[in-house]
Amino acid sequence: MTITVSKAPPFATIQDLGWSVGRAWGLPRGGAMDRVSLVLANLLVGNEPGAAAIEWALGPGELEFADATYVAVAGGAEVVVAGRARRTEATLRVRAGDRVRVTPTAGSRFGYIAIRSGIDVPAPLGSRSTYLPAGIGGLSGRRLKLGDVLSLGPEPETPPPAEGVSFERPAALRTHDQPPFGILPGPHHDLFSPAAKAQLARGTFRLAPTSDRMGIRLEGPPVVSTAPATLPSEGVCIGSMQIPSGGMPIVVMPDGPTVGGYPQAAVVIRAHLSRFAQQPPGANLTFRWMTLAEARLAADEEARALSIVGRALRRPLA
Amino acid sequence: MTLLPRIVPLGEEAITVGLGTVTTEAVHEKVRSLAHLLETRALAGVLEICPAYTTVTVRFDPDLTGVATLEPIIRAMLEGPLPFPAEQSGAAHEIPVRYDGVDLEVVAERAGMSPREVVERHTAREYRVYLIGFVPGFPYLGDLDTALVMPRRPQPRPRVPPGSVAIAGAQTGIYPFATPGGWHLIGSTPVVLFDPARKRPSLLAAGDRVRFVERS
Repeated sequence: MTITVSKAPPFATIQDLGWSVGRAWGLPRGGAMDRVSLVLANLLVGNEPGAAAIEWALGPGELEFADATYVAVAGGAEVVVAGRARRTEATLRVRAGDRVRVTPTAGSRFGYIAIRSGIDVPAPLGSRSTYLPAGIGGLSGRRLKLGDVLSLGPEPETPPPAEGVSFERPAALRTHDQPPFGILPGPHHDLFSPAAKAQLARGTFRLAPTSDRMGIRLEGPPVVSTAPATLPSEGVCIGSMQIPSGGMPIVVMPDGPTVGGYPQAAVVIRAHLSRFAQQPPGANLTFRWMTLAEARLAADEEARALSIVGRALRRPLA
Repeated sequence: MTLLPRIVPLGEEAITVGLGTVTTEAVHEKVRSLAHLLETRALAGVLEICPAYTTVTVRFDPDLTGVATLEPIIRAMLEGPLPFPAEQSGAAHEIPVRYDGVDLEVVAERAGMSPREVVERHTAREYRVYLIGFVPGFPYLGDLDTALVMPRRPQPRPRVPPGSVAIAGAQTGIYPFATPGGWHLIGSTPVVLFDPARKRPSLLAAGDRVRFVERS
């Protein structure tokens, strides 16, 4: 069972949920930018939630399937199977020889196509994710290109949901609602005046076009700190909002560095990171201070919603 | 006023323990001791310990532990005598370097010395690995000879060749991969700093000691 890249996508990489080891060696978490969409696409084809799938950005491309199987597309993309536009976030049957075209949609950044059995590439240090800065993981540590041939893993035990199965995302997993993004006080929030902290929650920030898998840059009312411009570098996490001397925040994303020397004013809560990652360049973003308890509650709601979707999609064994 | 240790949450799944405000050998000894104690204790729910210049970041599973549990344990560790076991003095490494970096002349001019003297000063001392970060395997080494201390380049290069040996501020380091970089490039090494196939993927670890040896 193989899949061939028959039209080169501009920016498609193999991703799973990233590395759970290696931060002390400078290896980032890596993995899907929008973890919720990756998991949903996998669940729709009966895969493990964190199976390796393709993260698709910037423009269209096409895959040719040598054999019949199931696929699902989730997140910000449209899908055409054998010339016919199909639903996203639904289980789709693909016949031998079919071509599947994936096109990222305007208004979001990343689409995910999961294929039943998951993509089989080596998993150095436990992840199949592509980490481009070091050329590690995925398919030879790089983006997919024309003519690449992808193999699939062993057939999962869970049967695929019936063709055409789809669902409405539970509220906790929706990306298009626009409440402010939750932020927690960062490790250096004491270095910011109450006025600067209030500013962060009051201002509207524009997502800069230079944002990528390493970091999301924001432009808006400068967030001024009393901190020295740089501190001795220390640990950061996905969601860390670093404030360089110009006052324009940079939020660390999955391929970002593991340490940073800018003061970290805030951290975007985990449950809002998938939605945050999908914001397109030019989007206007607002933030809201939250407590750790609120952030944990939101993370629990997200996990619960994913688990419910997983159970709902599991076809009863005949 | 900052109370030390400074124990603060880093998002929902980590805390950062600050042990000083400026990098000194004494502060870094504390960093290495605490990291070692935490590794040895293997506390429930603790996943990773990441030492840096003046801090130790502790990553954990938030369903199993949290700030409230970890903070008193860490404070107690720091109040007790900090063991500084011999193995914590770190492994010694020699890194062969060809001093052919594109910035060597500029660095020499700025430091008011010949390129030869830059090489002599850079190879004269043993450096401490303060931390590994930025990209996998990148070592932040210090402290640099004060005569070589200079700010990083005003404009980072979009692509630094892998293996570049570089200096910036009071630090020296090695770029393991072709990445953007704002440090001054003074040489190059064939040594592979990060290889996921190795038992320990990163050649160097925080606390190790490094000496650069000139090769032609």
